Amino acid sequence: MEMVNLTIDGKAVSVPKGTTILEAAKTIGTEVPHYCYHPGLSSPAMCRMCLVEVEGAPKPMPGCVTTVTEGQTVRTESEDARRHRRGVLEFYLVNHPLDCPICDMSGECHLQDYVHAEGRERGRGREPKRVFGRDDFGGDVLFYGDRCVMCTRCVRFMSEVEQDHRLTVVERGNRSVIDTFFDEGLEGTHFHGNIVDVCPVGALVSKDFLHKARAWDLTHTPSICTSCSQGCNIELHTRDNLVQRIKPRENLDVNAWWMCDYGRHNYEWINHGDRLEAPVVRGGEPSGAMSWGDALRALLERVESLGGSKVKAVASPFSSNEDLGALRALVEALGGGSILYRSPEAEDEVPLKGFPTLVRRKDLSPNRRGAETLGMSRVGDDGANGGLDGVAEHDGIIIVLGDGLADQAADFGANAGLYVFLGTHASEAAASAHVVLPITSHAEGEGTFTNHEGRVQRFWRALDAPGMARPGWLILGALASELGSGDAVPRSAGEAFSALGARVSAFAGLSYDDLGTRGAIVNESVSMTGD
Amino acid sequence: MEISSPMTISVKVMHRPEPESTSYLRAALSGMALTFKHMVNPTKVTQQYPEEQTDLHPRWRGTHVMERHADGRPKCVACGLCPTVCPANCIRLVGGEDDQGNRYPIVYEIDEFRCIFCGMCQEVCPVEAIHVGRHFENAEYTRERFVYDLDRLMDQDHPSTLLWDPSDPQSE
Repeated sequence: MEMVNLTIDGKAVSVPKGTTILEAAKTIGTEVPHYCYHPGLSSPAMCRMCLVEVEGAPKPMPGCVTTVTEGQTVRTESEDARRHRRGVLEFYLVNHPLDCPICDMSGECHLQDYVHAEGRERGRGREPKRVFGRDDFGGDVLFYGDRCVMCTRCVRFMSEVEQDHRLTVVERGNRSVIDTFFDEGLEGTHFHGNIVDVCPVGALVSKDFLHKARAWDLTHTPSICTSCSQGCNIELHTRDNLVQRIKPRENLDVNAWWMCDYGRHNYEWINHGDRLEAPVVRGGEPSGAMSWGDALRALLERVESLGGSKVKAVASPFSSNEDLGALRALVEALGGGSILYRSPEAEDEVPLKGFPTLVRRKDLSPNRRGAETLGMSRVGDDGANGGLDGVAEHDGIIIVLGDGLADQAADFGANAGLYVFLGTHASEAAASAHVVLPITSHAEGEGTFTNHEGRVQRFWRALDAPGMARPGWLILGALASELGSGDAVPRSAGEAFSALGARVSAFAGLSYDDLGTRGAIVNESVSMTGD
Repeated sequence: MEISSPMTISVKVMHRPEPESTSYLRAALSGMALTFKHMVNPTKVTQQYPEEQTDLHPRWRGTHVMERHADGRPKCVACGLCPTVCPANCIRLVGGEDDQGNRYPIVYEIDEFRCIFCGMCQEVCPVEAIHVGRHFENAEYTRERFVYDLDRLMDQDHPSTLLWDPSDPQSE
């Protein structure tokens, strides 16, 4: 690759030929202010915010489209460059309302940031601002026309990435405004939530998030979307121990900057209360809700009294690799047995045309590939129902992890010698379990999911777990260790993952540090059944 | 044990007058004269509270007041700056949208017990909705009653605090 050497703000930069000044400046940590430029979209150079001073050029040059040339000297912070930006910002504020207190973008708005950083202290405008009011674009999007800075990122997203021309600019000059075609709106498109993300100001806002929380109140935690096996990198934005919204996190190998609307709005179940909060042991002495130590001791006593009963386990593709690995270790320590899982599947895939890597997959669970890798087999239909008749009437040990058994009858496991249920929510079938152990959801603990292509990706803890709920890998790891699996009790999710690597060759050699925030592909390819 | 110290402490011994050889008659008379003077020409120091109310300083920061629009709606636009700036973390705010499409507070509560009356909520408010007030008599029988909700804050009828000169708000 041919490299070009230039100087930006006095620093020497060497970038591949064809790189824009704006991207070259990023490599030395200088952000040139911009609105219309987005790395995932084309650059129309219409916002005029990224004007930089290029030595030898008669006028300031837009950094987003000017490619670097050998020996160029660029100044982004010179008095001239600042003067240009201050001028452009003043033009924006001719019509942009100062309604930051009631604007949902306040706190993460680029116009607010730039004006605060280098805009004029007082406005000089005397004329009234133009007023457009509010427009419902359909779907999840509201449009506040007054706030729009005409960067057309949303129009370009719809035409270039979603490739469904739903938005356009109508009128000219200061009357120009984004609009939909007739009454069509954005209804029926599957990725339109991203135009709210790309909007640099508060012109496009999410109806779901409208007035819900201020940007500065939200805690951002990197996570993985659990709505399909694509494994989009996301951020959970939380406040008051509740998920307030989901935003995509950049990962060019998986989802770039985008995510689908289905995943974006599928978070209410995380906030759903009514959780299992304490270990409960039933049928025999001791019984009732008790401490973890007592419950696990009672459980081990019962396992001992049963003496070598056959094990049947039900896992869930919504559990992390660590949880599933610990379950497998426990089943092996108990003498081995079958592990089944049930997984929902959609009828169709929903691809993102402009970025074909990102598809809303048929497989609607985040970790089916992980369950397959760990030798578990899929049963039941595409609604994740049925298929457990053999388990329900099993007379040995039944272990259920993560599957809520919502479709199963109350006599599930009635013949079992020991029926252990590890889950987040109670159900009829869970109520008959001998031992009910509360576990954390993926938002309340750390772990990894393996996506459809075998990429192992980490998620982090965003919420506090309710009551006495503990991570599944900890409980199952402790039990397996007591029953002689040979592994030490994992003290962290990272240790549980390392233990998994020691058992399963697909995960061998990977560690949490290797995965980082980008993930890594598992070593072996496994064939997916039923895909 | 002998204590040797490099510092020397000097002690001055004071002698009281002997009771037998001292007359207090003059002091007693002058005291009574003062009492008599006040009886004839009293200067009132004690304020007969609560019959007499105190004049609070214009900058007195007390119980909050929420200003209303002419139609009775609260002026608050639920921007979230007061809970953000509040150093005592005593303001709870949940924003929403009313039937006219305006952003407004669905829940706005101030815990007057936890409040330290710094007045920063009033200073930060972009629409001059929340004010601290010239009022201090907010005794209650229960702690819960000290959490003032939006209606109660709007119903406060005491004057608001003047944190700055209204004719010169920027101190120019």
